[in-house]
Amino acid sequence: MYTIQLFDVITTAGVLYIVALGLLLVYGVLKIINLAHGAFLALGSYAAVIATWLGWNPWSALVIALAVGIAVGAVAEWRVLRRLYVRPLDTILATWGLNIIIVQSITLYFGREIQFAESTITQAVNVGGVTYSLYRLVLLLVAVVLGTLVWLVMRRTQIGIVARAVIMNEELAEALGINTRLVRFVTFCLGAGLASLAGALITPLVSVHPNLGVPWLINAFMLVLVSGMSLGNLALAALILGGAQVLVSSYGNPVLGSLTIVILAVIILRFRTIPT
Amino acid sequence: MRLNQLLLMLVTAILAVAPAQSQEKKPIVIAVPVGLSGVNSVVAPAVVQSAELAAEELNAKGGILGRPVRVIPLDDESGPAGAVKSFNTAIRQQNADVIITMETSAARNAGAPIAERAKVPFIYTSFYEGRACGDYLFVNAWVPEQVVPPLIKFMTDDKKVKRWFAVGSDYAFGRGMIEAAKKTIKDMGGTMLGEEYQPLQQSDWTAIISKIRAVNPDAIIYSTSGGGPNIDFLKQLKAAGLTMPIGSLSIDELTAEAGGNAAEGVYYTGDYYTGIDNPENKRFLDAMKKKFGSELKTPNALSQQEYDGVHAYAMAVEKAGATGADAVLQALPTVVFKGPRGSVQMNKQHHAPLPIYLAQVQADGKTKVLKDFGLIDPGDQCPQLK
Repeated sequence: MYTIQLFDVITTAGVLYIVALGLLLVYGVLKIINLAHGAFLALGSYAAVIATWLGWNPWSALVIALAVGIAVGAVAEWRVLRRLYVRPLDTILATWGLNIIIVQSITLYFGREIQFAESTITQAVNVGGVTYSLYRLVLLLVAVVLGTLVWLVMRRTQIGIVARAVIMNEELAEALGINTRLVRFVTFCLGAGLASLAGALITPLVSVHPNLGVPWLINAFMLVLVSGMSLGNLALAALILGGAQVLVSSYGNPVLGSLTIVILAVIILRFRTIPT
Repeated sequence: MRLNQLLLMLVTAILAVAPAQSQEKKPIVIAVPVGLSGVNSVVAPAVVQSAELAAEELNAKGGILGRPVRVIPLDDESGPAGAVKSFNTAIRQQNADVIITMETSAARNAGAPIAERAKVPFIYTSFYEGRACGDYLFVNAWVPEQVVPPLIKFMTDDKKVKRWFAVGSDYAFGRGMIEAAKKTIKDMGGTMLGEEYQPLQQSDWTAIISKIRAVNPDAIIYSTSGGGPNIDFLKQLKAAGLTMPIGSLSIDELTAEAGGNAAEGVYYTGDYYTGIDNPENKRFLDAMKKKFGSELKTPNALSQQEYDGVHAYAMAVEKAGATGADAVLQALPTVVFKGPRGSVQMNKQHHAPLPIYLAQVQADGKTKVLKDFGLIDPGDQCPQLK
């Protein structure tokens, strides 16, 4: 029982981390909450549906999802968001509008009914004396890999260093000749791509329909709010909040469990020192 | 002379036809307020198609009492506010003779009093939680008492299930279905090892699945909200390697098929499946295909009853000899329509004993009908009504 709960806690944290990563990146660099995050998750899931229609290997959905997310993100940044960075409040409206446009476009083409997407892995494995979903364990691995990759990009590459300069002090970075416009563009595309990739990654766990991103957006939003701009904090927050949700659901009930993330987020926000 | 005669004949002919045209009989209007937008928009188009096929068949045979039949679909937006608007439109602007439709319970509860006040018969064609009663309200689909006990009995007798685990979505219908299941399980001498409810917006079932694994029941009985949540739960259950028999109180053919192999092996009961093997169902499905072609929305357990409802109404009007509400309401419980589901008569307190079938989802997601339980009584739904 305890082994299973340990698995439940860490794999739930892994899933939450994957889902929130793109949102965190956009929030960190652009200082905007991308309310279209849920729609990008849905885009990724429909990439898996398309891969199934084409008869491609289910894993190819990940590549399609990443490409579609980056492409749609690029258009949105280029045509809309770019003009709104000086009006941060308006970006909330703009990204929410983008969310509606994407979700309705999906609905127009695919309809509201649920769609079938081939799953990559459906079997369970025996680990440490318990049978557990192999895919959830794989997701945990994916979360670690994705987290490490983004961390390496931010720490070890030119674009990462520039991005961090923008995070720390945008005016100064701009004064030093850094093309902040390009940094914002690349970051938003990456964030959208990661969100869409996350959508494809969670598809084997959920049913595919246009609004599938909504519940995930809410949890990701809470996680990003409490973790500020740090990848490490995000992992910690996913572990604490996701873990608490699983444990409260297991020992109490799932209705209380779903409240846990929200309540804990409020408490953490109250006592967390504000990063400057 | 010849020419004059010809002209005279022509004139008389025109005069004879003209009044006939102006006296063209007033159509019988069947209003179908249904969720063309909102949560029901997945099934609503199939409901409208069911009504349109029934109307076409009636008109081909000369209509009802020689009057043509007209179907008017309206959007109830899947909720009470839209239902009020569309019922008022149906009754006040379209002069509907009857309302025959599938709706959410909230929409039905909002619409039924409007129909009652205007003295317009209302045939409700959706399965629901039961105990909706009114002098003008008739129901031709199932209530929990008709589908839950047969499923539990089958699993207890044939699958030797004694220790159960119940899972539901946390809302009225989900909880109601599980309550009905618990009652039958108790009557059958089974034990309930656990009972868990998941909030509607949650799609991660991890904690509940771990609880199921910990107590290792003989079988799972569940009732989520319709569509997607079924597949969320079943996909995760399968991925977790749990293989006990599963009885579903919320899955339907379309959802099972969209889930691929996620729902493989799941048992469920109902009054309509496309796979029901009788000549009426075959004829119905062929006619639907012929009429709608590539536009066809697959008939399902929420849409087929609309077809039966329209035909039952037509039989009642023919029998009553008029469209007046009192006469029609008196005739309605006495007529039997033999349709794709079998013979249906709304003679039990405005509800209908229904042919109930057991089905199982196959590896490709398609549903196979395994067994016919025969007519199952709805029990006491509205004791104050006849």
